[in-house]
Amino acid sequence: MDATTFAALGEPTRLRIVELLREQPRSVGDIARVLTIRQPQVSKHLRVLREAGVVTVEPVARRRVHHLRAEPFEQIGSWVGSFERLWDTRLDRLDAFLRSADGGPAATDRRDGRPDHT
Amino acid sequence: MRPLFRRARELTFERSYSAPIATVWDAWTRPEMLREWWGPDNTTVTDCEIDLRVGGDILVVMEAGEKMGKYAGTRWPMAGTFSLIEPHSRLAYDARSWTEGEEETTTIEHTNTLILSADGDRTLIDLSISITAIGSGAKMAAFGMKWGYKAQLDGLETYLATRGHAAP
Repeated sequence: MDATTFAALGEPTRLRIVELLREQPRSVGDIARVLTIRQPQVSKHLRVLREAGVVTVEPVARRRVHHLRAEPFEQIGSWVGSFERLWDTRLDRLDAFLRSADGGPAATDRRDGRPDHT
Repeated sequence: MRPLFRRARELTFERSYSAPIATVWDAWTRPEMLREWWGPDNTTVTDCEIDLRVGGDILVVMEAGEKMGKYAGTRWPMAGTFSLIEPHSRLAYDARSWTEGEEETTTIEHTNTLILSADGDRTLIDLSISITAIGSGAKMAAFGMKWGYKAQLDGLETYLATRGHAAP
């Protein structure tokens, strides 16, 4: 997970810009008008968002249109995914532990007596 | 600023274990047993303290071993407080999990609820992990965007894919 992504999104105005871009790609002028922020300020925030890889810009007709990039958001999701996988692995290990001789007398009995149970 | 992270994210796990309910309960509540299975391969549990009473604390720290390469020596603590204990039946604790030294960007706050039930000579467990918060405000916002607006992001992916195909 990239700390710059969080830093970029941690500023309230930038977060508003990102929320706006979630709806559709927009030009600097569009963003300034909808959020009633001065255009130079919008440009400044967009630069931070571009540098963090959150936003990218491309020419459409004669306008420069900003839109979100999917990657940083997927990264955030994959971090939680790794937490989920950790627990999944952990519960599998519990199974192995309970089956092992170290799993206490009951588990030992279970293992020794497996034919009775399967 | 209004937090975008509005709802908890719930992870649920169900497992069936070939062991009596008392053994499974002990595996979750006795440090000498828990430390045997808590860490994935190539990690060790270096600290494990369990004060098994409501209001008591649980602390488990796992540490990456040499085979984890660049992660070797990294420590991942989980610290929690029990909110519910019904022996051999259910337990719950509110906890934080993080990567040591990167608490700011890695902390996940979560509530774990474990329910045990006997199924013949097997034991069923139902573990739900409710993620209630992520470290700082910035992260909460970011996660809210991921979870609270997943549909929009799906739309974004479609949009990006379509745009890719439409490109000259």
